Amino acid sequence: MTQRKRLSNTQISSQSRRRSEVAVAEEEDGDLTFTQPSTSQVQRGLERLTSAQVDQKTAEVVQYFLVKDQKKIPVRRADLVKHVLKDYRNVYPEIMKRVTQSLDQVFGLKLVEIDTKNHIYILINKLEPAEGAPLDNSPTNPKMGLLFVILSVIFMKRGAVKENVIWHTLKKLRVDPGEKHEEFGDVKKLITDEFVRQRYLEYVRIPHTDPIEHEFRWGQRADLEVSKAKILEFMGELHNQEPQSWTQQYRDAHSTPNSTQASTSSQR
Amino acid sequence: MKRARSSEADEETPRQNGSSGRRRGVQQHRGNEDDEGPGLGAANLQDDDIDPSLRREIRSKYRDLINSVQQNREDMLSPSNNKLTEVLEEANKLFQDVREAREAALDAQLLVVATDLGKEKASQLFSEGAAFDPTAFAEHLLSFMGLNRLEDEEEELQNGAVDGYLPQDAWHRVAKRAESCFKTAPAFHYMMGSFHAEPPPPKQRIERQRKVPGKEAKRMMPTQLKKMEESHQEATEKEVERILGFLKGYHQDDPSTPISYYEFVIDPNSFSRTIENMFHTSFLIRDGLARMYLDDKLPCIAPVEEGEVEAGGSASRKQCITSISLKTWKELIDAFDISDTLIQPLNTQNE
Repeated sequence: MTQRKRLSNTQISSQSRRRSEVAVAEEEDGDLTFTQPSTSQVQRGLERLTSAQVDQKTAEVVQYFLVKDQKKIPVRRADLVKHVLKDYRNVYPEIMKRVTQSLDQVFGLKLVEIDTKNHIYILINKLEPAEGAPLDNSPTNPKMGLLFVILSVIFMKRGAVKENVIWHTLKKLRVDPGEKHEEFGDVKKLITDEFVRQRYLEYVRIPHTDPIEHEFRWGQRADLEVSKAKILEFMGELHNQEPQSWTQQYRDAHSTPNSTQASTSSQR
Repeated sequence: MKRARSSEADEETPRQNGSSGRRRGVQQHRGNEDDEGPGLGAANLQDDDIDPSLRREIRSKYRDLINSVQQNREDMLSPSNNKLTEVLEEANKLFQDVREAREAALDAQLLVVATDLGKEKASQLFSEGAAFDPTAFAEHLLSFMGLNRLEDEEEELQNGAVDGYLPQDAWHRVAKRAESCFKTAPAFHYMMGSFHAEPPPPKQRIERQRKVPGKEAKRMMPTQLKKMEESHQEATEKEVERILGFLKGYHQDDPSTPISYYEFVIDPNSFSRTIENMFHTSFLIRDGLARMYLDDKLPCIAPVEEGEVEAGGSASRKQCITSISLKTWKELIDAFDISDTLIQPLNTQNE
């Protein structure tokens, strides 16, 4: 009886394992079918479609990106194909070319592939923030203030900060990660989960620590979106100090212009 | 800052010796008596060893000290105070009463924490240009956020942390200032607002649909089964009676001519109906309502008269098996030249 049970268990586990392997294989296969349609394949695919159909699909993808960007969660290409492109996956490169162009020229947004292996995209504003008052009167998101403080500390601490430093600094600012904040709710979750998923922060375990400790770094989105020079400027204002007095940070902020940081950040 | 560093270094070495000395045993320990403090005789030492409450107290004090270092770490890192030195001096006092390995282990643990702090303090020295102090940063930010400090001047001194009243829009102010540092894509919103998808209702519906038929099916099951049995029996009985009716009818039409069994039973249009007829006719024979006999070697069937039923029923029971196959069915149809069925099928009769 027990033996049979055990047998069936192993069968089940091996089956499920096989199934997951199959799933992985399928995913890879699926990935392949839309990663590398050759130029001729795309050409053939396009011949079968009217230009109105391609335009329509392009518009759908643009809308998908815009809506997804509301929450700032990066878009995975696998999701994009599954939910929007569907049968148009064979002309994927052409659609993406048009989408990039449309986002760029119509919306002033830059589509950035932050992860070339898993094909993950985010949108960045191409336009510099307007001087003085912002054009739109949209209400400010207080979470951005919190994020800004964390990014500032990480930057001023030269790129990596133990989580305790962040929690301690926030406590001084009346934000306790252990307590529910009236504006941020579960602060710890917001910082270690939401900001991380949005790719503003990286929250990584420091190796060989007991008890386990984590440290914060800038996420890929922060590298692309946030101007270090401007943070330093703000630091100067706060401390009533010249930005140049933080010699190393000043060098960091001005040696890598934001536009070229995409490659460095993905290598890190 | 420098004081903290140097005093730490001064104290680490002898203390390390002390704790390792303890592990080697009490004899060895007496040799290190100079850093244990004077006035500790052998007798005294033994008394202390037995007193468990004192041991507990020492351990608890060590734990408190370690906790306070871990929790106030950032404060201690600030170059503007000597808290690390204070902690180390405190630990040194505690160490005078350390006797057991457990306490020494706690002492070593505190040392690890303190060393880590020392290392971090040292790294502050190396950084080029102005140092960045998160504590000072937080203070400046609080001012920027519009903290009202005037009210709690005293508390500030007591707690070491600034207390005060933050305005409602404190974080909005920071966010507003931060906006210019971000190149965030503006969030896209529908002018008329978007409708909210409502996933829960469909789920509920599915559950209801599943539950309700489940209950009904359970309730229905037994009655349904009974009905099926009854109707099946009834159908057979009815059919048997109906066939008996046919048999009696043909017999009355012409009592002198025997009714050929095969002619009676066979339906030339349907083999399966023929089988059914044979099946039902067998009930007539079993119940003694009809009898079969051979007339000129051919099986014939005739109804049993009302009076004869009783007598014939118990007299002689004989059994025989009639069988028919598709092939013999066809042969019989040809042999008897059957063109029409004697037993009208039920449905055609209804029409």
